[in-house]
Amino acid sequence: MTITATTTPQPTATAPDKRRPGVGAALRWEIVKLAAQIRSRALLAVALIIPPIVVAVLNGQQQPPSDTIYGRHVHDSGYAMPLLMLAWAAQWVLPLLAAVVAGDIFAAEDQHGTWKTLLTRSVSRTHIFWAKTLTAIGYNLLVLVVFAGGTIAAGMLIVGTQPLTGLTGQAIASGTALRLVVTAWATTIAPIIGFTALALLLSVRTRNPAFGIAAPVVIGFVMQLLGSVTGLDLTRKFLLTTPLEAWHGLFAQHPFTGPLATGLAVSAGWTIICLAGAYLSLRRRDITGG
Amino acid sequence: MSDVLAVDAVGLTKTYGTLTAVDRLSLQVGQGEVYGVLGPNGAGKTTFLRMLFGLIRPDAGTLHILGRTWDEHGIRALDGVAGFIESPKFYPGLTGRKNLQLLAGLDGGAGRSRIDEVLETVDLRGRERDKVGGYSFGMRQRLGVAASLLRDPRLLVLDEPANGLDPAGIRDMRALVKRLAGSGLTVLLSSHDMAEVEEICDDVTIMRTGAVVYHGSIAALRAKAPEQAHEIHTTDDERAALLARAAELEVTRLDDGLAVRGPQPQIDALVAQLIGEGIALRRLTRRETPLEALFFMLTEPDTDPAAPELAITGAAR
Ligand SMILES: Nc1ncnc2c1ncn2[C@@H]1O[C@H](COP(=O)(O)OP(=O)(O)O)[C@@H](O)[C@H]1O
Ligand SMILES: [Mg+2]
Repeated sequence: MTITATTTPQPTATAPDKRRPGVGAALRWEIVKLAAQIRSRALLAVALIIPPIVVAVLNGQQQPPSDTIYGRHVHDSGYAMPLLMLAWAAQWVLPLLAAVVAGDIFAAEDQHGTWKTLLTRSVSRTHIFWAKTLTAIGYNLLVLVVFAGGTIAAGMLIVGTQPLTGLTGQAIASGTALRLVVTAWATTIAPIIGFTALALLLSVRTRNPAFGIAAPVVIGFVMQLLGSVTGLDLTRKFLLTTPLEAWHGLFAQHPFTGPLATGLAVSAGWTIICLAGAYLSLRRRDITGG
Repeated sequence: MSDVLAVDAVGLTKTYGTLTAVDRLSLQVGQGEVYGVLGPNGAGKTTFLRMLFGLIRPDAGTLHILGRTWDEHGIRALDGVAGFIESPKFYPGLTGRKNLQLLAGLDGGAGRSRIDEVLETVDLRGRERDKVGGYSFGMRQRLGVAASLLRDPRLLVLDEPANGLDPAGIRDMRALVKRLAGSGLTVLLSSHDMAEVEEICDDVTIMRTGAVVYHGSIAALRAKAPEQAHEIHTTDDERAALLARAAELEVTRLDDGLAVRGPQPQIDALVAQLIGEGIALRRLTRRETPLEALFFMLTEPDTDPAAPELAITGAAR
């Protein structure tokens, strides 16, 4: 084997018109890495395939799952299906969807020892932080859209577009029902971003992808339990899982949006605190591994 | 611009708990120099280079890189600087070329032909479409050099680039570093191997448990090195030792045989004398080179670097 040095390294004279790489460069890099990742593609596929299967199976069952909200209406209206699915998903599926990519995205660099590879180029820790955060949030919203869209479409196609019975027994016309169902799913955007931020924080702090993915799910589960304990009304208000149920008010005779507003504020609070914690932790940290 | 030092470290210190990994390190590397940071494992070489790359923050001291500092310039402190720390790491699921392409993207991008060029330089053409996960250690090491060259650096920082390579890999890596150094690049090379630094570098800082024990040119270091030592095995080591001492050679009894240190003509004379005295010579081997011997004296834990005969830390330039 022979090694030939054919390149004469030139002194770096960064041309003034050549823009300095920043968040954009880091973002492109993250997106390419995410697209190459089997897990991210698999999750998208699952989000696409699972809803129609679940809807079809539920539709075929004689006994509707009447212990969950909208469970006993699933044979009456295709709009009840996505609401039942939403109530189920809120328990642990949505936190898991939020954590699969976000819980890994920082810790994977620790796992591969690649922090030093990234941080010895021209992008700063801040650039990389925002690139990873935006990638994780963007990806999670994409998964949410695919999952929600698939669920709603499956309900309408498999069961039908019959009017929906409201939570106070009123009839909701088909067109209004569709709008409300879409809105109900859209209200999960804020808490999902909150769960994404929580997973990002855990990913930075634990430096362990498995922990970053599993912990938000466990935390979400514990929050569900806490939320169901009677007498903890104040605590319940600040839980990240409560906003996932705030859509119930939309389906009352006189719709109320108070819980939605509170949920939005609580989700924003969690998001800001978790992202600030993750950012400061990444900024200050000694990169000694790898 | 060219009178700006490539690296100017003053009083750099980093502690981990109670351990001082780097202890008031000062060193200056001029542009165009090929500079070695030499020390046994744990001397603090990697810790110093991590500070240089901004991966860890020094507890004390100042560091200018091509005139810039991390505090003032942030990531711009690395403009014109490239290299790697310990073994370079890549994304195992992506190909060598894809890794380079993505890394170049973090510097503003590089054309296909430029990537071909650096792959050629490190002799990885033909393997660039394989996933890095399947690369040998040596190939990853060379990909690390390629990734560094893509930045068109003025200062190339390599942390023990030949570490962990097989003998052929070591030879090739040294040849590559020498060629790069010959092209006018400033090279800062860390190593635990005196022979490597002697072969490649002009100037050296020798570290031991975080502190500098020598600082100056290789030529000046060579002048301070002891004579070449030889190991001899004879049919009568007892008498051979007496004869060697009489010939004013420095003698150390080994478990098996003797180590004698002195000028080559005196060694030659001793060998002739042994034969004349009826003592058969069974083996005569060179021990470590004089510079290596000096390096061990300077850095081995049971020696005191402050001992007068070893107090050879050169004056700072
Ligand atoms: N992250 C760390 N935490 C604690 N000790 C460390 C850490 N990194 C390095 N050290 C210690 O600092 C000393 C210098 O290490 P290092 O700079 O890696 O030496 P070298 O590269 O010269 O072999 C060693 O004693 C090492 O154990
Ligand atoms: Mg080291």
